[in-house]
Amino acid sequence: MTAVRRSVGTIVVALIASLFLLFIVAPVVGLVSSGGARGLATLASDRELLASLWLTIATATIATVLGMLGGTPIAYLLARRTFRGRAVVAALMDLPLVIPHPVAGIALLLVLGRASPIGAALYQAGLRVAGSSTGIVCAMLFVSAPLYVSAAREAFARVDARYESVARTLGDDAWRAFRRVTLPLSARGLTAAAVVMWARAISEFGAIVILTYNPKVVSVLSYDRFTSYGMSEALPVAAVLVLFALVPLAALRALRAGEPVVSS
Amino acid sequence: MLGILADTLLVYVAASLTRPIQPVLEAFSARTGIVVQRESGASLEHVRKITELHRIPDLLLLADVEVFPQLLVPKYSTWYAEFARNRMVVAYTKRSKHANEINRDNWTEVLRRGDVEVGRTDPDLAPVGYRTLIMLKLAERFYKKPGLAKSLISAASERNIRPNAAELAALLAAGELDYIYDYQSVAESNGFSYIALPDEINLGDARRAREYSTASVRVRGPTRGSETEFKGEPILYGLSVPREAPHPDAAARFLAYLTSPEVINQLRAAHVDMLDHPVVVGTGAPAELR
Repeated sequence: MTAVRRSVGTIVVALIASLFLLFIVAPVVGLVSSGGARGLATLASDRELLASLWLTIATATIATVLGMLGGTPIAYLLARRTFRGRAVVAALMDLPLVIPHPVAGIALLLVLGRASPIGAALYQAGLRVAGSSTGIVCAMLFVSAPLYVSAAREAFARVDARYESVARTLGDDAWRAFRRVTLPLSARGLTAAAVVMWARAISEFGAIVILTYNPKVVSVLSYDRFTSYGMSEALPVAAVLVLFALVPLAALRALRAGEPVVSS
Repeated sequence: MLGILADTLLVYVAASLTRPIQPVLEAFSARTGIVVQRESGASLEHVRKITELHRIPDLLLLADVEVFPQLLVPKYSTWYAEFARNRMVVAYTKRSKHANEINRDNWTEVLRRGDVEVGRTDPDLAPVGYRTLIMLKLAERFYKKPGLAKSLISAASERNIRPNAAELAALLAAGELDYIYDYQSVAESNGFSYIALPDEINLGDARRAREYSTASVRVRGPTRGSETEFKGEPILYGLSVPREAPHPDAAARFLAYLTSPEVINQLRAAHVDMLDHPVVVGTGAPAELR
């Protein structure tokens, strides 16, 4: 009886898991099968799409590098140090995840727009945020950095703090211990965190369209093609984006495949 | 739960009309108990939701009545009605650069200064976008300054283009832009200052239809690589109830309300230049409009 109950349970769980997988995969497969071949075929001739794709990749990469530079110290502090306001800092880092993205774009405009003190100073220095690649990077950074910080924090937490302590007792200062011990041991996790951030950045639309409509990243171009020409022209653009996103996501899986499986 | 049980009215509204129409929608909902759902955006975006996604609203209120015969009639709608006018203006705020010196005589010069940020709407997506280009062509002829249109268009660079009138207005309000080409109703409902342009170029005078039609622009057509020519004509907003509207009765009730003297006056007070009576084109319009 117990065996029967177990196998029924297994079937139910498998069924739920399959339905869930189908729910996630079906729209993506539908998108790629509808527009993937055409998107790739027109990639060489469609200069607007090609330029948009490079712009998206370049801005997402810059945003990710900035996210790593700024987010790694915070992630490390949150993982390793106990300090007053730690919970508040952690919650603040998650805030962009709950802000609707067009609202995030407006918030960035308020802080970095020409009418703000920071924006005015940048504008004077010849760096304009709205309507420029800088605006795209800012929007991407704002909405996707929390994912990096969260995953990087996990990566640091997985490294046993005692290794650092040993290095310190052997004479390394804190920075050297971090660089020689913690960083190499968490490198794979940090890379995975960066890939997730990059993937989220290239898919951003809501915040970007408020800050920078032109030049168009792929998500904005896809919206533009849909509005101007309809679904048949929007699908290849979106499909190309999905296909390009597959590259880092597959790389991420390859990285994780090398990780030891934790068992208790 | 009440929302599910109650009758519903789904309205697609041109972004430039959203602010003034919202109180009317709310008052209608309060009066009738009908749940009103509004989606605001560029007119062409609404059209694509219908033709590509088959998300059919109960009522369409668009910024250019010509969109109906070009893209929606007869497949998606058998009739449409002209219901309001508008005119083009140059809108700005107190903090816009040179706000204290711009006027009806020098705006073409102020807007070409190097330190000024001028914005406009995407001519490929929104009627206000191509109307801006037509207005500038008319201005070139009216002010007898060859090359004026081209230099004013390049002064409102690509980076200052936005997809619809409301998003453009938001950038002016945020101080990101100094001046925008937009509708008078948008400028007034946002509390912007504006330069009222001469009737010869503002596309707001129905008697000047022939004069306006001498200027035209080519924008992206409905298929890639194609182009559509838009001739200048007086700005007319259009409405329609699509053939497959899920709640046509609620739409008809709203149209009766919208065209009542009380609401016409309310919208005129909100700077929407409502016609005394909608002008219906086609057949099958609800009795409330005839």
